[in-house]
Amino acid sequence: MELACVIDKRLAAQLRPDRAWGPRSGRTGLPDPVEAGEATETMVRALETLGAAVESEQSGEAFFAVDGLRGLYGGEAAGVLAAAQRAVGEEFQLGTGRTRFTAFLAAVGWARPVPVAALRTRLGVSEREAGELIEALERLGIGTLRAFTRLSADQVADRFGPLGQRALRLCQGEEEALRPRTPQVELAEEIELPEGTAGCRLDRALELLVDRLLAAPQRQGRTLLGLRLGAVLASGGSWSVEQGLGRPSASAKVLRNVLVPRLEELPGPATSLRLRAVGLGPPARDQLELSVGGSEPRRRRLGAAIREVRAVQGAEALLKILPVDSSSRVPERWGLLTPFPEL
Amino acid sequence: MPGLRRLYAPQRVAVRTDPRGVPAKVDGVAVEAVREEWLVEDRWWTPRPLRRHYFDLALGDGRALTVFRGAGGGSWYRQRA
Repeated sequence: MELACVIDKRLAAQLRPDRAWGPRSGRTGLPDPVEAGEATETMVRALETLGAAVESEQSGEAFFAVDGLRGLYGGEAAGVLAAAQRAVGEEFQLGTGRTRFTAFLAAVGWARPVPVAALRTRLGVSEREAGELIEALERLGIGTLRAFTRLSADQVADRFGPLGQRALRLCQGEEEALRPRTPQVELAEEIELPEGTAGCRLDRALELLVDRLLAAPQRQGRTLLGLRLGAVLASGGSWSVEQGLGRPSASAKVLRNVLVPRLEELPGPATSLRLRAVGLGPPARDQLELSVGGSEPRRRRLGAAIREVRAVQGAEALLKILPVDSSSRVPERWGLLTPFPEL
Repeated sequence: MPGLRRLYAPQRVAVRTDPRGVPAKVDGVAVEAVREEWLVEDRWWTPRPLRRHYFDLALGDGRALTVFRGAGGGSWYRQRA
């Protein structure tokens, strides 16, 4: 089986040994993480359009199996790769191999013989741990992956422990099978904003965007699992937030209620707003009835309780967590504390 | 934005390290064990990439604490104590 790795050229440049950690001065590239994520998403979608089943678990890189596509692109891997390169554009480079690791090495462009330093980011451990292993290998004169794989499993286990064994298995091609994602339907709407649109007019623009998104025929009656609200800023650059819905919904009211507060995070005037569904759920007709009788008395009791608590404990006594970016690896981006709304 | 507060915001903490750079004391309390450590690298596509070396620590007074150090041997912070 042959796998292909597609990698962002800037990421590849960062991983190569001739490049110190950190951005190069004068480096050109995407201006913000939103656009980098969008570029990866666009790359993955382009590959899926070719018929590839794509695994992409990290921003900037993706893997797919070449074999199943040969018949579509002239019978040779070269045809598949040429089609993939055309699809993803010049910002990405490709490489192939029998495993993710070898495809990754080819895509990054490591010269042969590949030094053991290439293991640094592929072992799933901290850079310090990986660095210690690489240093230990080099100290013993094992400078290349080829030399490393000549060692027996017993020797590696004895000298380098579990991490060494993991590295050896990686070099010997022991990997889990690809876990391609399910191709998503592109469901997005965009609206141009007149100059100076703010406040209630911005809210209304968002309402219009929500209505358009729900009316899009490609939704085919399915519910939404999450949304990404983005904007092109008048001052240049872009802004975007991801908002989960908690449960699948196709209700314009629910969507507006979760999205309108996020507009307050807009860093400046925008020239356009964009709304994209980031996941589609079951059809709306399969949803359970959410309306519960007697909600008004419950709301009144809850409102009275909130006011009572605030009167005793102060205005900040009742807060709620507003999810911001639950997938971030940096904890302070997971959520915000915001005042619990008055009922 | 007024009325909003970040959850899990990092807070400065005084850490003494051993020669390998691993925390040995946090706010004067000895570190019993490093339970886990990991590296977070993010925003590599921007001019200001984020790089943090996290340590999940067990302290001598029985507390569990997560601390991290910024890129370039910067200051230490505690997070999600």
